[in-house]
Amino acid sequence: MSKEKLSSQEIIDIVATKASVSKRASEEFLKVMISTIEEALLAGDTVKIKNFGTFKLHWNEPRKSVNVQTGETIILSGYYKVNFTPDANLRDLVNEPFGHLEAVQLEGETIEQPVQKEVEPIDPLRTLNEQASEIKDILAEIMNFQPNRQKSEIKDETEVALPEEVLENNEDEIPHQEHEKTIQISDNKIDEVFINVKEEPIVEEVQLIEAVIDNEVEAEIPETIESDFEPEIKDEETFSPVFVPKKKKSKVWIWILVGILIVAGVSSVGLYYLYPPAKDKITVFKKAFFKNTREQLLNFSDWLNSKPQKKEIPVTIVIPKDTTAVDSISEEEEVLPVDSLQVLFDNPRNYSEIIATETIHSGSRLTVMAKKYYGLKDFWVYIYEANREKINDPDKIPSGTIIYIPKLDSRLIDKNNQRCIDKAKELRDLYVKKVLKND
Amino acid sequence: MNHKELIAAMAAKMNAPKSVIEDLLEKTVSTCNELLVEGKSIGFQSFGNFEVRKKDERLSVHPATQIRTLVPPKLVVNFKQSNILKDKLKELPHNE
Repeated sequence: MSKEKLSSQEIIDIVATKASVSKRASEEFLKVMISTIEEALLAGDTVKIKNFGTFKLHWNEPRKSVNVQTGETIILSGYYKVNFTPDANLRDLVNEPFGHLEAVQLEGETIEQPVQKEVEPIDPLRTLNEQASEIKDILAEIMNFQPNRQKSEIKDETEVALPEEVLENNEDEIPHQEHEKTIQISDNKIDEVFINVKEEPIVEEVQLIEAVIDNEVEAEIPETIESDFEPEIKDEETFSPVFVPKKKKSKVWIWILVGILIVAGVSSVGLYYLYPPAKDKITVFKKAFFKNTREQLLNFSDWLNSKPQKKEIPVTIVIPKDTTAVDSISEEEEVLPVDSLQVLFDNPRNYSEIIATETIHSGSRLTVMAKKYYGLKDFWVYIYEANREKINDPDKIPSGTIIYIPKLDSRLIDKNNQRCIDKAKELRDLYVKKVLKND
Repeated sequence: MNHKELIAAMAAKMNAPKSVIEDLLEKTVSTCNELLVEGKSIGFQSFGNFEVRKKDERLSVHPATQIRTLVPPKLVVNFKQSNILKDKLKELPHNE
């Protein structure tokens, strides 16, 4: 923004040249304008100026603050502030450079939001995971612990039992068993033997034992595997469905958009070739298309139907022109007399001629006099205007005061004309307010 | 106090016809508007300053729906009361 600042003097000059009045008059006007606005604001009123804005008083509550130097808390007293709200018209005019911009809803946020939601359901899963891993650790510890103990047993047992059971077994087999620390699932000696058999088919003679043990081992192994790995599998299952459908959805939308665009392109190109002379129509049609494809399709069919009626369109345009012309003429005719009345209202009234004089006594009212001389009590304001020097308060006129009843233009006190009554009421409001202010 | 009342009050003060006042007021307002549109600021002595300020674009988050919206930058008319007017307003009693 340019820092250029205009003073009130420059405004006065510009207004003076614009309205072709003297600078003094313009200055006087501006002064009065500002003082009037100020007075109204000081009286607690709001001031609204057409096409400009609204001035309003706003009360700022007292608040606590800290003295920067001493650190003491001080209380800033409340104060009134003048709030100015520009008129919608002015607001838009000033904001024209940015007027085309509109608030944009950020796409990313709609995704981020569900992500935040996902975090919460994940938490229990995570705890499950942690629990699972804990259980795993504990199990592993138990396993590590058990084989050690068992192996010591096994050593004893194998030394004793193996020779008994499998006499033809090589002596090498036993050291093998001891070296293999990967053997975890083993509750008894036979298990170990079985695993040995599986991994290193050295002991061929043990096949018989293997067949017997198979059932038992199979029953045990699945249990441990399940307890260790099931949670992880579950996690994968729950994660994948959350993310996958989204991708699918967005893809679907992209495809729909692409489809619409293709339809639009094809139809517009087709139109262009079908009706090359009707370019304007097509551009209009195109604009309509981008607003709404469905509407566009309707428009298209409408347009096809209405094409033969093309010649009628200018006719329909002409008709409103005629009516507006007629309207403006009739309005002008109406406006003329109104204006003369307005001039009568606006100009200060001249009370040189007097039809009668009245002396105030207790019980006499200006309104009664107005009714008597002008036919309507609302016109008492003119009597008041004529005798303003003598009357301080139109409600309290000291008795004995001589009141002059002025001669008024008959158009001004036309009791059948609502405008005259409105004018009188307006004047009354003005005077009543003034009296209140003086008090 | 609306536009009409302001004109009426001013006409009564200046002892001039309302039509003249209305015309002058309209001219003044249009002058001010034009100047503000040009980005210039106007200072009325003893009353206050009108100036155009630029509000930068910002992100606003709807507290209930969490939808974030990018609000575009805009130019706004700002009025700052003068110290003279402020002092006058200070004397105004506050009644709630």
